[in-house]
Amino acid sequence: MQRENRIAHYVVGMLTTLSLVLLSMPLSSPVRSAKALASYIFDPISYEGERGAQKMAGVPARVRELLTADLQNRILQEELRGITWIKLTIESLSLENKRLRRALGLKMSSGRHPIWAHVMERDPLHWYRSVSVDAGSDLDVSLNDPVLGRNGDVLVAVGRVVEVRPRTSTVLLLSDERSAVAAYLSSATLEGLAQGQDSPHLRMNYINAEAKLFLGDFIYTSPTSATFPPDVLIGRVAKVYPRDPFLTFQAVEVAPFLDATSLQEVLILRTRQSEREPAAEEEPAGTEQAPR
Amino acid sequence: MRIMRSFLLFVGVMLLQWWWNTHLAYWGAAPQFLLALTVLIAARRGSVTAMLIGFAWGIFVDTLRADLFGANALLYTVAGYWAGMARKQIDLRAMGPLAAVVFILSWGYTLMIGVVGLVFQKSFLWIGWVPALLTPFLNALTASVAAVVWEAWGEP
Repeated sequence: MQRENRIAHYVVGMLTTLSLVLLSMPLSSPVRSAKALASYIFDPISYEGERGAQKMAGVPARVRELLTADLQNRILQEELRGITWIKLTIESLSLENKRLRRALGLKMSSGRHPIWAHVMERDPLHWYRSVSVDAGSDLDVSLNDPVLGRNGDVLVAVGRVVEVRPRTSTVLLLSDERSAVAAYLSSATLEGLAQGQDSPHLRMNYINAEAKLFLGDFIYTSPTSATFPPDVLIGRVAKVYPRDPFLTFQAVEVAPFLDATSLQEVLILRTRQSEREPAAEEEPAGTEQAPR
Repeated sequence: MRIMRSFLLFVGVMLLQWWWNTHLAYWGAAPQFLLALTVLIAARRGSVTAMLIGFAWGIFVDTLRADLFGANALLYTVAGYWAGMARKQIDLRAMGPLAAVVFILSWGYTLMIGVVGLVFQKSFLWIGWVPALLTPFLNALTASVAAVVWEAWGEP
């Protein structure tokens, strides 16, 4: 016990002296070196501790995301079961349609094969003219394939393919002044031609001069459109232009349902199908269902 | 094995102290795990071990602040020494006396850090009323919990 006490006295004396030296000469070179050495030894604790704390702080959010994803997954699986039935119904109707067309001697509608692509690039100088997408001839995209966008659950006409490269394509937007698409107004099925203006809005010309036009009317692609499948939403009537006595038609301004500048991904309705992809049936299930 | 556990304790408590101070301190009040553990080690393993570990922990705390390098090392050493001497008179293995000694030493620490500041920096370092009043209680509680964990861990 005496020996232990003696050692304790020596140690406390030594450590106290050392501490007092550190305290009394804070700017001396040995003390600064000692502090640098201590920092070198102990700093990893706080550094690694902070990194660990940051990782741990992210854990609850990740767990929450995981649980949300699991719930969404269950809901989507339920929906998918329902969609399988809808798909079977559509296939059945398509086959029936084909039989009826054949019986009536009508021309067969061309099948389309949808594919999603991401918007890669926009030219700032031609904001409302064209975009580049990451699908090209390698995915059987071809010239004049119609391109749709998505606003919520609704598919909207966006433009058509005007340039195809091996892995990318250029899409000419409806808002480009070189674009025009046959369209009709929902209230009276009046046909006209929706044309780009190089601005956010389109102009729909050639509407019957006697027709009554309403603001907010929906505008869809016409069955007479050479590029687009029928009944695809384009936009709404934003303004009715005053009648020009020298013209035999009326015109309206169209606010597109999807702003071309907010496009992130697009649906290309390909007109030819790769041999790599499994063929659906003799006559494909038809075009993408046009929203109404 | 014992060396490994001691090393884990040594590093783990520093990490806990840093993390609590950084993320869980309210109004400047946070338990001084290092001080409470120094007293606990003095109670269980004697003053020499407590002083050596307390000195190292004090240096760690000192590296986290810009001034008074060595102040915490000095105070933790003295706390280890004092607790080691006190265990010959008081049964510090019991939770009540241990908590009381930690409480008193925490107050002593609060005053002594001020005095060290007065001597070496010419200004009394007052840590503030809230930490000064709360920390001793938090330290006593910490020491009690640490003693229970210490027993559960199978340390003598």
